[in-house]
Amino acid sequence: MNEKTKTSKYRPIRFFILLCATLLIIAVPILNNRFQFTFIQGWYQSISIGNLWFVSPLEGLESILTSRMLYGPLLVGMAIPVLVAFLLGRVFCAWICPISFLSEVTDWFIRILSRKKYRKTRIILPRRMLWASLVSEIALAMIAGVPIFVFLSPPGLVGRELMMVILFKTVAVEGVIVLAVMAMHLLSPRLFCRHLCPLGGLLGCIGAKRRLYVEFNVENCIKCGMCSKACPLALDPKNGQALSAYCWNCGDCIDSCKTEALSFKWREIKVNDENTNHKVNVKSNHSHQNPVSHSL
Amino acid sequence: MERREFLKGLILPIAATALPVSPVRASLFQSPIKTNVLRPPGAVPESLFASKCIRCGRCAEVCPYRSIVPRDFLETGVNAGTPLIDVTKVPCYLCMKCVEVCPTGTLRPIAQQETRMGLAVIDRYACMTWQEGEFMLCRTCYNVCPFKEKAIKLDELRPVIIEEYCTGCGLCTHGCPVTLENGKKAVNIEPIYAFGKVRKE
Repeated sequence: MNEKTKTSKYRPIRFFILLCATLLIIAVPILNNRFQFTFIQGWYQSISIGNLWFVSPLEGLESILTSRMLYGPLLVGMAIPVLVAFLLGRVFCAWICPISFLSEVTDWFIRILSRKKYRKTRIILPRRMLWASLVSEIALAMIAGVPIFVFLSPPGLVGRELMMVILFKTVAVEGVIVLAVMAMHLLSPRLFCRHLCPLGGLLGCIGAKRRLYVEFNVENCIKCGMCSKACPLALDPKNGQALSAYCWNCGDCIDSCKTEALSFKWREIKVNDENTNHKVNVKSNHSHQNPVSHSL
Repeated sequence: MERREFLKGLILPIAATALPVSPVRASLFQSPIKTNVLRPPGAVPESLFASKCIRCGRCAEVCPYRSIVPRDFLETGVNAGTPLIDVTKVPCYLCMKCVEVCPTGTLRPIAQQETRMGLAVIDRYACMTWQEGEFMLCRTCYNVCPFKEKAIKLDELRPVIIEEYCTGCGLCTHGCPVTLENGKKAVNIEPIYAFGKVRKE
C-alpha cells in the first residue's frame, strides 16, 4: 500500500532544472543590459560561463560541414555536450531545452483544464522520422551552403528572441517557428520533439550506447501500463523501448511506476563482460538485482 | 496543418536553391553587407560568413555599445541572426570584445589596429570642406578617428583617409554632420575587404 502513495522523485527535480535553465536565458540578457554582466553569456546554441564555453553539437557540426573548416575552440566547445550526450543520452532535451520547459508548462495547464493526468497521442508517426529529419537537415544545410538549423532551431530561437526583446526591443520573424512547435505540441504531445527535432536526433544518435539508462525489472512489473502513458515520447519501457536511442532519460516512467519496476541504472563497461565471458552470469545477476539499490 | 507550415519553412531554403535565378533566391542568399552596413572586426570573408556563423548572438550580447545588431529572416534571408553593424546608427568603438567570444572562429581574434571592417571614403561632392568657393571648417571625422594622424590626416584643413591604416570602424561616418538624401554621409565605409577571397592577416 505504501507504494501507491509514492511521490514523484525525478519530476520535481527535472522541472526545477528546466525552470532554472529557462530563467537563466531570460536573466542573462537582462543582467547584461542593466549591469553589463557578461560573465555568463549566450543561450543553448553557445553558452559561456567565464572561460568555459559550450557549443551545441549540431550547430557546431553544421558550421564545420558547411564551411569545410575546423576551428579548435569550436571542437573544444562541442566536447562537453557531446560527452554528456554520450554518457547520459538525450538529457539536454528533457532536462534543459526551453522548448521542453514550454511544453511542460503547457501540459500543466492542460492537465488542470482537462483534469486528465496524461494526454493522448493524436498523431502517430514512425519514430524513425527523427533520424530522417537529422539526415535531411544536414543534407539540406550542405546543399544550401548555410547551416539551416542554426537560425531555425526552436531551442536556439527561444534564446535569440529573448535577447532580441531585451537588448533591442524587437522580435525576429523566425519566432513563428517556436509558435509552430508549440502548436504542434497542442495538436499531439511533443510532436516536434518525437519526430522532427534534428538536435534531438543527433543527441540520441550520440547517446545510443549511453551509460545512464532506465532499467526495467520484470519481476516487479504488474503490467499496469502507466509507464508508457507517462512517457512524453510515447515509448514503452516495459517492452525494452527505454533502452532505445530515443529515450531521453527524463524519469517520468520511473515516477509513474507504482511497483518500482523501473529505475535509473549506470551501465558498467561492457568490455569486461566480453573479456571474461561471463555474459550469462551477468544477465542472471541483473534479473536478481534488488530494485531498491538505486545507483543514482 | 501546423506541421505542414513548419515543413514549408524548412523547405523554403532548398526550394530557393533549386530555382535558377529568381528574386527569392537573390534576396534569400544575398549578403546583407553594403556601404555602412558591416561585419564586426575580424570577420571571415562574406563567402564564408553565413556558413561558419552559428548565430549564437554572443558577439551581440558582449558588445557594450550595442553596435552589433542581428537582423531577422525577412531582412537578411539566410543571414538571419548574423552580426551586423550599421555605422550610421552605432559605429564600432573597436573594444575587441566580440572577437574574443566567437566560438566558431567566424570573428577571429585580431588586434585593434588590424581590424579591416571596410574603408572610409570621403565624398568630396558632399563634404563641406571640399566645396569650391565657400570654405567651411569641419573636422569632425578627424576629431573622432581613433587613429588620428595615421588613418586620417588633414591636408590644408581638409580630411584625407590613409587607406593603409583605416580600420573601417565608422566613427567618422557616425560623426559626420552631412546626411544625403539616400541616407549616406559625406564619409562612408565601403566594405571593400568583405568580398575578397583571402583576407589580409
